[in-house]
Amino acid sequence: MAVTGAGALNQRQPLRVFRLIPGGTRTVLLVLPATAIFVIFFIVPTILLLAIAFNPSKVGVVDFSFSNLTLETFQRFFNRPLYWQALVRSVELSVVTAVLALLLGYPLSYFVAKEQRPGRANLYMILILSSMQLDLIIRMYGLMILMGDTGLINDTLLKWNLIDSPLPLMYNQFGVIVGMVQLALPFMILSLIGVIQGIEPSLEEAARSLGANRLRTFLTITFPMSMPGVLAGSLLVFAIAVGSYAVPVLMGGWRVIVTPMHIYQQVSEVGNWRFAAAIACLLFGVSLAAVFVYHRYTQKYIGGLV
Amino acid sequence: MSVITKDAPPFNPPTSASPRRNDKDPHPVPLLFRIIAVITFAYLLIPAVIVVAAGLNSGTYLTFPPEGISLKWVRGFLTSDTFLPAYLFSLRLAFVTMIISTVLGTMTSIFLTRVAFRGRGVARAFFLAPLLLPGVVIGLALYTYYLNMPWLHLSRTFWGMMLGHVLVTMPFVIGTVSASLYGFDLSLEEAARSLGSGPLRAFFTVTLPNIKSGISAGSLFAFIVSFGQFDLSLMLSTPNHTPLPFAMYNSLRYQFEPTSAAAGTFAILLVVVSMLLTSRMTNFSKFGGMKFS
Repeated sequence: MAVTGAGALNQRQPLRVFRLIPGGTRTVLLVLPATAIFVIFFIVPTILLLAIAFNPSKVGVVDFSFSNLTLETFQRFFNRPLYWQALVRSVELSVVTAVLALLLGYPLSYFVAKEQRPGRANLYMILILSSMQLDLIIRMYGLMILMGDTGLINDTLLKWNLIDSPLPLMYNQFGVIVGMVQLALPFMILSLIGVIQGIEPSLEEAARSLGANRLRTFLTITFPMSMPGVLAGSLLVFAIAVGSYAVPVLMGGWRVIVTPMHIYQQVSEVGNWRFAAAIACLLFGVSLAAVFVYHRYTQKYIGGLV
Repeated sequence: MSVITKDAPPFNPPTSASPRRNDKDPHPVPLLFRIIAVITFAYLLIPAVIVVAAGLNSGTYLTFPPEGISLKWVRGFLTSDTFLPAYLFSLRLAFVTMIISTVLGTMTSIFLTRVAFRGRGVARAFFLAPLLLPGVVIGLALYTYYLNMPWLHLSRTFWGMMLGHVLVTMPFVIGTVSASLYGFDLSLEEAARSLGSGPLRAFFTVTLPNIKSGISAGSLFAFIVSFGQFDLSLMLSTPNHTPLPFAMYNSLRYQFEPTSAAAGTFAILLVVVSMLLTSRMTNFSKFGGMKFS
């Protein structure tokens, strides 16, 4: 459905101020309350956080002062391997998560997108959406019961004498990745299903009828055509994984230190708000870079309709 | 004459006898894809199944095969002085968040889908941004802001936390409601307008019933996302304002307590029941195209 001409509903001449937005003052009222909330409670706080990061780090001080602007907090971050290594680790873990989510998510998305029976397709969507909507802590709880040293897997394997000592499934990078993929997979799947459904079946049929086998059809037609979904989903998964606090804490048991943990630690344990703000800004920058790339790709492929 | 009748059968092949493609799929999904799809489904759903099993298990630790079914952890949850209040607090918070997010998000979606202006893509990205930014960062930004603006009286309050939840749930409402608005034929509303009804009446009698499914799905997502929100609540919760995920997280950090599994079972029940209720109104298979960009 194309977007219909602007101002079709409002014949009144718009005020000069709102020339930028056709439809006049009355349509602006629609978006005003949400904009107000977003500006007052999202944009301003984020700018304030950014500003605080440029004050020298001092324990117990929250407010911003114009008089002493400095890069001290950022220097501190990059001078101490503890902090910047955590950011590198965050990015690495998130990249691995995005790749695994794609490898696991693509076949499922393809399977659901090609489902012809509407009842089945609806059921699959309910399952995927439920798994996305389910409380993150509950899902990690389930994984912990399953993968802990005395968890279900190790317990059963030990009881059956298949192993002598518990397998290290959790409290390491492996556990964190399993948790992050669990967290982000539904977003990957939702990004992919729509794109795969949108591929004209006659293109695949044409390739098949011209003699390409199934693998070749997939590699030369289906997969390249689903690239927008692949890129969008991967960057979305990356952004979700890189900002996650609860997953590395629960699945890594404080043995895999990532940047969101440093932010919380600086606030709750050290009380160094300004340094926490600086770390938050750097993490924010990494996510924003991912979002920016994501937005560029979707703009390019979907033409900015959505 | 006889030639035609002879030639006719080949032009009427048996495929046309079964016009539905159900029994013979022209594009069977490759076996490898089917196998991985099953594994991925299992991976997505097993954690929830395990939490329910632990909540209904008779022993303290879940074993395989299970020892037996018991309701003692459920009883423990219903008499708990940490989990039950947290559950009720989360319900209250999610309900208020849902109402505000749904109303404002629907209004914003109408604006974003109907009014063409330069920078609409940017405006859309602006409203969807909280989904992609780390919850810890948004939480820290709000906490710092509340502390710096004491006259707002929002620091460590229910309303302060609720505003954060509105920020992170609105993208879901905008995503689903916009999807249904793109599918709505605007000429229906124009017809109502040309027959003399005012803009509000045209909206409430024609458009709203048509996008009802998108709105109900969006409000469901807002409710559930708020109910399960953790990273944001981490920064904003206080001992007397503890949402359920935070209470569960606290108990998980120190000891394994099946009571929290029972609490989790009730949360899962809430998701499943509300998903099923909404699926009666909404065709979820349409949401494959839900976009978060």
